[in-house]
Amino acid sequence: MTTTTIMLSLPDRRRMVGVAVPFIAVAGSLAIGLLLVAASGKSVPEAIEAFLDGAFGTAYAIGASINRAVALALVGLGFILAFRANLTNVGGEGQIAVGGIVATAIGLWTPISDLPLGLAVVLPLLGGTLAGALWGGIAGVMKVRFGTNEVISTLLLGFIALLLVYWCVQSTTLLRQPQTSSATLPESLPIADAVKLPGLTGSPESPLHIGLVICLLLAGVTAVVLQRSTFGLRLRAIGLNELAARRAGMPGGILLVVALALAGAFGGLAGAIMLQGEQYYLKAGFSSGYGFDGLVVGLLSRGSTVGVLAGALFFGFLRSGGISMEIMAGVPAALTLVIQGLIVIAVAGSVILVERLERGGR
Amino acid sequence: MEETLAIFIASTLRLGMPLMLAASGELVSERAGVLNLSLEGMMLTAAFFGALGSWATGNPYLGVGCAVLASLCVAAVQAWLSVDLRANQLVVGIGFNILALGATTLLYRVIFGGLSREEIPGLPKLAVDGLSNLPFAGTAFFQQSVIVYFGLALMVLIWVILNHTSFGLAVRAVGDEPLSADKAGIPVARTRRLAVLVAGAMAGLAGAFISIADIHTFTENMTNGAGYLALAAVIFGGWNIGRTIAACLLFGAATALQFQLPAMGIVVPTAFLLMLPYLLALLAVAGVVGRLEPPTALTLPFRRGK
Amino acid sequence: MTQSTTAEPPLLALDGLGKRFGSLQALEGVSLGVRAGTVQCLLGENGAGKSTLCNLIFGVYGRSAGHMAFGGAPWAPASPAVALERGIAMVHQHFSLVPRMTVVENLMLGQVKGMLHRHEFGARIRDIAERFGFVLDPDAVVGELSVGERQRAEIVKCLMRDPRLLVLDEPTAVLPPGEIGALLDICRRVADSGRAVILVTHKLAEIAKVADRVAVLRGGRLVADEDMAGADMGTLVHAMVGREVKPLDVALAEPDDGVADQPAAAEATGPRRFALVCDGLSVEDRHGAVRLDNFTLEIRPGEIVGLAGVEGNGQSELGMVLAGLLRPTEGRFYMGDVELTHAGAAAVTAAGGGIVPEDRHAVACVTAMSVAENMYLNKLGQFTRFGLLHRRALHAAAETQMRTFDVRAAGPEVAFSGLSGGNQQKAVLARELTLDPLVALVAAQPTRGLDISAVEAVYRQIRAAARRGVGVLLISSELDELIAVADRIAVLYRGRLVGERPAAAGERAAIGALMSGQVMSDQAE
Repeated sequence: MTTTTIMLSLPDRRRMVGVAVPFIAVAGSLAIGLLLVAASGKSVPEAIEAFLDGAFGTAYAIGASINRAVALALVGLGFILAFRANLTNVGGEGQIAVGGIVATAIGLWTPISDLPLGLAVVLPLLGGTLAGALWGGIAGVMKVRFGTNEVISTLLLGFIALLLVYWCVQSTTLLRQPQTSSATLPESLPIADAVKLPGLTGSPESPLHIGLVICLLLAGVTAVVLQRSTFGLRLRAIGLNELAARRAGMPGGILLVVALALAGAFGGLAGAIMLQGEQYYLKAGFSSGYGFDGLVVGLLSRGSTVGVLAGALFFGFLRSGGISMEIMAGVPAALTLVIQGLIVIAVAGSVILVERLERGGR
Repeated sequence: MEETLAIFIASTLRLGMPLMLAASGELVSERAGVLNLSLEGMMLTAAFFGALGSWATGNPYLGVGCAVLASLCVAAVQAWLSVDLRANQLVVGIGFNILALGATTLLYRVIFGGLSREEIPGLPKLAVDGLSNLPFAGTAFFQQSVIVYFGLALMVLIWVILNHTSFGLAVRAVGDEPLSADKAGIPVARTRRLAVLVAGAMAGLAGAFISIADIHTFTENMTNGAGYLALAAVIFGGWNIGRTIAACLLFGAATALQFQLPAMGIVVPTAFLLMLPYLLALLAVAGVVGRLEPPTALTLPFRRGK
Repeated sequence: MTQSTTAEPPLLALDGLGKRFGSLQALEGVSLGVRAGTVQCLLGENGAGKSTLCNLIFGVYGRSAGHMAFGGAPWAPASPAVALERGIAMVHQHFSLVPRMTVVENLMLGQVKGMLHRHEFGARIRDIAERFGFVLDPDAVVGELSVGERQRAEIVKCLMRDPRLLVLDEPTAVLPPGEIGALLDICRRVADSGRAVILVTHKLAEIAKVADRVAVLRGGRLVADEDMAGADMGTLVHAMVGREVKPLDVALAEPDDGVADQPAAAEATGPRRFALVCDGLSVEDRHGAVRLDNFTLEIRPGEIVGLAGVEGNGQSELGMVLAGLLRPTEGRFYMGDVELTHAGAAAVTAAGGGIVPEDRHAVACVTAMSVAENMYLNKLGQFTRFGLLHRRALHAAAETQMRTFDVRAAGPEVAFSGLSGGNQQKAVLARELTLDPLVALVAAQPTRGLDISAVEAVYRQIRAAARRGVGVLLISSELDELIAVADRIAVLYRGRLVGERPAAAGERAAIGALMSGQVMSDQAE
């Protein structure tokens, strides 16, 4: 009976499948990425070296990668919260955008620098979070009130938000810096130093900021909410069978709105952190795909908080490494998009396979 | 003034054209129950391979062929994933959009190198004899690229197919009640696959229009959300071909206005005009503009038995 | 014309037919001959194997044993498509029409290639309908047709294939009484045109009007097969229900002492006069059709009121309104002294309204969640501190309750979907009956699909609740159950309360007449 000791028990094996699929998808997509590097005539070792250098090479690189991961993780956490209620939040990009707009607006409010107790940092963060919550909440209200599919509404709201950013930085009556010449860029003024997120290490070498702490705290809270709280169970019930949940007295509509508002709040916070932690001024397209990447992270995690953190770190380092690869080895950073796209498609396509394996164990 | 109006109509038609092409194809797919969020990716892929084909062969018509072929490849994989593997159509669509953006940018940099902006052989504007010189209508309607006339004919064809052929009947049935369609002997999966391919072919034409007929070059992310606009138009058009095309024209007009209004001295924020289509679509799905009902089985995979 | 000579071989001959699904023997040793030009009725209770038999003939499943012959040749269709091709058509219980398309479009679906010629095809539809004595508008949108009209569209769809055998699976179950006669006429005309008709039903009254021969299935076996002319209704009932009538009767007949307790229970609840009051409830659907029409009913504490009616006469809407899931367009309802008309499901629960909904899987439970979670779905707050769910306490409580209500499962943490229908229903009952306070219980079709011991358990629990002073509204389409369990029976017809009779076996005919809409309340009382 030695085989039985080696073989995993059935539930373990099923869980393995669930974890294995994203890993296989990631590994396969990375391999295709390397093949593409080779096919484009660039040196593979050189590209790998540039990638690793950009991702892990210096304290700066690591800090920047982790900062990227923070934004992705926040969007991903929001995604899995809403997904527990069977809601797919595709609007991360727009929620980041409105979060960034409001954080900038508050951050540029002159008296803010003089506020005590770190309020100069906290108020814009809160403002961004609330703006994101509102943006997500609109989709929730539309779903409850008019039965609008949240995928369509969050997507459309996302485009509207992106154009709102554009509008804000185009118009001097909004957030555009005073126009002194025709060469003045359509950007906001930079926020004051007091509004910027404090660094974590204290060393100027590393851009790592307290966003990481906020993110880890929220990840812990999310894990507890999803696994241990009654609210998490109610979200699950409403996601699985809305009518039965409502019959059991759960406020179905409110739960759905709250779920989407929470997802939006995480996105808005991510936007505020991106702005206060790294970018410091608002410009069109500043969300640069983090919302969609965060969605991918949430999707790959299969609802697990740890999965979100792992996925966010992976994509954070992938982005940093990709940028370095472009600069140092001449391989376009778009390669990382190819890899991401392949991962999403592979994971989505294997859902049926995974379900069959998990259910049947065969 | 009349001249301005004629130019406005012409540019509305020009800007609305890729939307009309893509949306009318997507409409067929959605009526069959498959939503292609990947429309944007299909168009971008087509725009790139159209430009590449036209540049490599020197023949813009072959370029259009390449564009349609490339888009059909994307559509075929989308169909396989969402119909046969029953994958989440929305997620697959997002994946394709990321992939298409990455792949076309990558290939563009590798093949065309750096920031080359070489003009590719484009499709000629087809000045219809006798009509193009008409004082008003000539400028407004009859100085368009050949793909415009071809595309308009295809839209009429799609209307005929959807409403007056057995295939159209099958498409509507599998999009509403796949179970009943299956019982009536309609091959649900095959019908849906075909419908997605129709969307792919039309998105291919749309992409080719942008790169070969309109701009005469490829630039990174050149579709810039046109695919999403086309999706919004299908929604705003209430899954009806006439209304969808009207929605595309409306969206085209909103885009055209951003160039026209400043010329006329009217100040409206560009961002607002660009936002308008999405706002309208949002209001439409919220039911503010009449109650719109999507096909009953939209985005729902079909599986026989239970 | 309907007389068939014995010399002529049957159009369809079944010989020792058997079908097994896993460990379930659905059909065994069925031998039967169906002749052209006749209506063959197939009688049996739910689960007797009628649908299985039809599906074997129509090629939905393959048989496990025996032989079939059709038109003199061996018959083993690989699929319904083959069966259709070779002359057998079937009208299923669930229609396969696309509601958003017109009748003609639905009938063309899969039948024509290329361009659609709606006019010509529509004319053919009219012709066929006319030939069999009814009217059907080819250009009507199916979603806007009545159930009867949709069924006629299905029948025309079958007849267009010019079948030699037409199978109708429970065609009358979905029809309002007024349309049943017309359907039976159509069956007769189809048979008279030289085809064979198999009509599946579990209602005796129907067969007398139309059948040439009648066969009875029970527990997957053929227990009777005779000419209608010589058949005796009593014998058929006995064949259909067989020995199983006994345990059910025992289960149903227990309540007498409960009824005796009633006044005491009512007094014990004090000043409260009614447990449940419906005052002029009306529901319109989104097309503006009236589904429930000025429904008024008062139930005293300790009383069990049965609500009889053919399905689709407003019971579902009433159930949804009382569950707090659907707002009535007019009227009000109270549980105890609390008005709940627009209060919602949570308030119904808080006011002591226990609800056992008609559609268990859609409304009562979340099958992917655990047994414990489902049993306390509406009381999760009891186990919550600082927002966190105290799972150990939840499981302990659930285990106790599973013992009390005899819910059999491997444990409180297993998925609800793994339970049998009976155990699921017992768990739902446990949840609803342990509300504190419990004022009224609304149970809709609570025994549907359950085995006999579960049925017994469900009624025991309902009776016990009534004895404790709970007012019970029992909605069921099974008249026998209502007569056995309820104190009085109200009848719903086309959304209206058309009459009320005492729950006594002797009232069966009167209630049946009310259910079929033959007598309006004012005439009956």
